[in-house]
Amino acid sequence: MKPAAIPGPIVAPASPAVKPARARSTFYFVWRALISDRFALLGTVIVSIFVLTAIFAPWIAPYGPDDADPALRLQGIGTEGHIFGLDNHGRDVLSRLIYGTRLSLIAGLAPVLLGGIIAVPLGLIAAYYERFGHLIMRVMDVLFAFPMVLLAIMLAFFLGPGLENLVIALVVVLVPYNTRVVYVQALAERELGYVEAARAAASSDLRIMFGEMLPHVVAASVVYSMTIVGTIIVTAAGLSFLGLGVQPPTAEWGIMTSEGRTVLHIAPHASTLPGIAIFLLVIGFNLVGDALRDALDPRTRLVRVKLARGKQADPDEDPEPAS
Amino acid sequence: MWRFAGIRTLHAIPVLIGVTFVVFGSLQLVPGDIANTLLSMFYTEERGEALRAQLGLDKPMLVQYAIWVWNLLHGDLGQSLMLRQPVAEVLLDKIGNSLILTGASLLIVIPVSFILGTTAARRFRTATDRSIVFFAMLLASLPVFWLGIVLLYLLGVNIKWFPMSGMYNMANPGGFPDLIHHLVLPAVTTAATSVAIVTRVTRGALIDTLGQPYILSARARGLSDFRVTYRHGVRNVMPTFANMCGLQIGYLFGGAIFTEIIFNWPGIGLLLYNAILQRDVPMVQGCILAIAVVFVLANLLADIIVYGLDVRRR
Repeated sequence: MKPAAIPGPIVAPASPAVKPARARSTFYFVWRALISDRFALLGTVIVSIFVLTAIFAPWIAPYGPDDADPALRLQGIGTEGHIFGLDNHGRDVLSRLIYGTRLSLIAGLAPVLLGGIIAVPLGLIAAYYERFGHLIMRVMDVLFAFPMVLLAIMLAFFLGPGLENLVIALVVVLVPYNTRVVYVQALAERELGYVEAARAAASSDLRIMFGEMLPHVVAASVVYSMTIVGTIIVTAAGLSFLGLGVQPPTAEWGIMTSEGRTVLHIAPHASTLPGIAIFLLVIGFNLVGDALRDALDPRTRLVRVKLARGKQADPDEDPEPAS
Repeated sequence: MWRFAGIRTLHAIPVLIGVTFVVFGSLQLVPGDIANTLLSMFYTEERGEALRAQLGLDKPMLVQYAIWVWNLLHGDLGQSLMLRQPVAEVLLDKIGNSLILTGASLLIVIPVSFILGTTAARRFRTATDRSIVFFAMLLASLPVFWLGIVLLYLLGVNIKWFPMSGMYNMANPGGFPDLIHHLVLPAVTTAATSVAIVTRVTRGALIDTLGQPYILSARARGLSDFRVTYRHGVRNVMPTFANMCGLQIGYLFGGAIFTEIIFNWPGIGLLLYNAILQRDVPMVQGCILAIAVVFVLANLLADIIVYGLDVRRR
């Protein structure tokens, strides 16, 4: 064996600007993915706009969410002083849309965050202790036996109205899926050398799970969480559309759609505009989620960078050395 | 194959038992006294007692569960609080309508997602591929209830191409053509999300398959691109495709609730919605149980069909 036969890092020849290859952090790939791809950038921009709207709602909205001008009720798009028209109570649709952003973001992000906090340790423990894992997964199988929306409807119905109960219902719906993602990933990690090494070094089970394996499985959970945010937002809005979860007269997109439905014939804007808002926000999250998934998947990561630079590029190399 | 079907069916039994436990146990989630919460402002001591007796809440929980399952096995899901009819009877009456809608949606999902998925994979990384992927992403982002309202407004209210609600024309029921006419909008609405999912998975699976050596050898033998894709590539993707479509049966059935509300389709979804509004607990439980059972059975069926399709496993 000649030592020279070991393949070293491939460095693109010729160009003087090329730096030697170096390892890149996960965050680097996430950041690159979000700004290098047009669709991902669009998603980031859409989500950012909605987040800013939610934060600054009271300053942006021309009226309060419950301010009513009954004289102008059901006036359509382009009414003076009310660009997006008024609903059946004479409330400004634009203002309610702006305030509704807050609820949709909370209803989308809170369950995903809380679900992740529960699912990651649960999946890790289930993968680490085989028997316990089988038990957990059988319980999850029962929850998988319900379509996602249906389980959410059932839980929200029995827990009663309110934002907290809505979030609880969505967390319960989400945990099985996220746990399975972590579980599958952790099962593979458990067989790898570093876990064995840690065990040989007499690390405690807790240390192996949360010190060694956790960083490797968290990425999978985060990517999954990001791809599911959109679905959760639609589900949350759907529940309020059904009269579960958040209750009227709260300015919430699902409620607005449901209330507007009764006046669809004379004022189509009241029910369709909130739907467009949901649609846009969900597109934003889905674009970001898809880009993240691609960025953290080593297979597509390689393809993507190669495509960006021509054939001779190495995936770990800085894609744009000149900058 | 029959052996596999048998084993797979046995595996579904504990899941079904778990499902009954979850549906039954969900009642315990109600905060505070159940009868009090359900009757709210109409609560009186007498009515509360009557309701507790009707729901069987005056007994210990395990006994309640045993009675509930016993009755369930005898086809008795309790009395609807609002309709004053046995829940099972009403469910049986409506389940057919929901299955019609599910079937029609599936008839849209299968060809549309097959064509989109295979075309995108064949033209991997071209503008066609990218537009199909983008289109699927848009479909997946659509809130179903909003899509229904928009289709209803554009094609039902404005152009009047399609009727706005129900299954048949009330004034002048026209049999099968009338049913199809009423089916189009609800079926398209229900199918949208599933089309996106199946398209995406089919595309991914076919791209993987088309990268394999045997495809290269087929190309090297000079077979046309069409033949390589559809005769050689698609064959290996068929089990995945069939499995995805099978899974969608359950999702279409459960997801139809929004469609049924918007188009006033007299199925289980609409029944569930009305039961929710009227806080009709036995009816809500019955609807959810029915949908979950259909979901489990559809997945079971899909697994068995896929096993049958996969020649390599025989």
